[in-house]
Amino acid sequence: MADNLILDVQDVKKAYDGLQVLKGIGFGLRKGETKVLIGPSGSGKSTLLRCINYLTVPDAGRIYLNGEEVLDKNIDNMRARMGFVFQDFNLFTHLTVLDNVRICQIKVSGVDKDTATQRALRELERVGLGDKAAAYPAELSGGQQQRVSIARALAMDPDVLLFDEPTSALDPELTGEVVRVMQQLAAEGMTMVVVTHEMSFARQAADEIIFMEKGHIVEQGTPDILFNSAANERTKAFLNVIAEHG
Amino acid sequence: MDIYDVLLRDFPFLLKGLGVAIVLLAALLLIGFVIGMAICLIQLYGPKSRLLQWPLKLYERVFRGVPIIIMLFIFFYGISGVFDISAFGAAILAMGLRSAAYQSQIFRSAFQSVPSGQMMAARAMGMSKIKAIRHIIFPQAARHAIGPWTNEFSSEIKETSLAYVIGVVELTRQAHYIITSTQGNVLTVFAVVALMYFVLNRTGNSLLYAFERKLAVPGFEK
Repeated sequence: MADNLILDVQDVKKAYDGLQVLKGIGFGLRKGETKVLIGPSGSGKSTLLRCINYLTVPDAGRIYLNGEEVLDKNIDNMRARMGFVFQDFNLFTHLTVLDNVRICQIKVSGVDKDTATQRALRELERVGLGDKAAAYPAELSGGQQQRVSIARALAMDPDVLLFDEPTSALDPELTGEVVRVMQQLAAEGMTMVVVTHEMSFARQAADEIIFMEKGHIVEQGTPDILFNSAANERTKAFLNVIAEHG
Repeated sequence: MDIYDVLLRDFPFLLKGLGVAIVLLAALLLIGFVIGMAICLIQLYGPKSRLLQWPLKLYERVFRGVPIIIMLFIFFYGISGVFDISAFGAAILAMGLRSAAYQSQIFRSAFQSVPSGQMMAARAMGMSKIKAIRHIIFPQAARHAIGPWTNEFSSEIKETSLAYVIGVVELTRQAHYIITSTQGNVLTVFAVVALMYFVLNRTGNSLLYAFERKLAVPGFEK
């Protein structure tokens, strides 16, 4: 594997019922980098993201986190070091915001309750929700819930954060607050892989954009290159459609 | 002595019968809870092997598909032929095993009503399956189960009266003793007994509903 990659994804393949969703995808991520996966729906972006932490087990390929291979037998430990933010938040509905952010610190990482509480409050502060610690998820707006789920992931002190279309389930007026938190994290040097249709985020925060289609990486490069001088016709066509409708 | 004096005099017997009914109820619900929960967890999270799943399914179908009176007879006369079992023991066993079949399905649907994203999120945070079930899925499923479990509680209170047919001296049989000894007064005696069952039922229901309200999650629609 290449040196000093936090995350190294090599030749990942996945098929569902004979349909090849991922046809051998690889990319790497250095500390502090943000990579954004874009592409039409069905291109395999989310499947790829889920393969990284084995929520979807890949058929072939290897994933390394800090040089250590992700395997079935170490998966709980590996997942604890990879934060995952879901499209539909998946906050634990029976727990307060505070408990959502500290339960996995306590039950997975074995952190004591006081330390977990301090950490949770700090992360909630960081996403602008310090005053919502006592609320329950159902009492929050979608944007607030997604920010709590980001705080929940951050509280585990992950090596990398994986975002699976974090704004797609939100009303348009609520995407801004989530995107701002993600931009702030990218600026602070968080290592992130983001699947999104938010081109403003991709343009502003990505170190590299990876354009996927039909299970392949079609093109990858800096936002400047992809948005202004994409080499591939498919990339141009996709970005044009997004520009018109997004 | 008119019937009211008799009822007053024999009321301790009715209370004793009620006590027997309550013990029977508690025991059968406990057996049903433990075995029912085990069946539910194996059905949902256990190995998918047919060797394991098929017998559980058969058990659940049989106990839900046969009248409890038949089960009581089978357990009492069937088992007592080979193994010395009291009528009370047979009733606990037959009714407990049947309740397990019902409770397993109450729990199963409660667990299944927890959205799959909850398990996924817990696993994605590094929780093992067992930790996720214990800390994330179970507390939510338990809240969903209290309502239907209250129904099971209510029907089982009423079903305890059937233990009468194999000779368990519970409330209904005590009532019958009074009726036999006073030659008549069926309506009055059974009205008192009905009231006793009803009060027990309502008390239990109120406690369970209070428990449900206490556990309700703010902002979360039922």
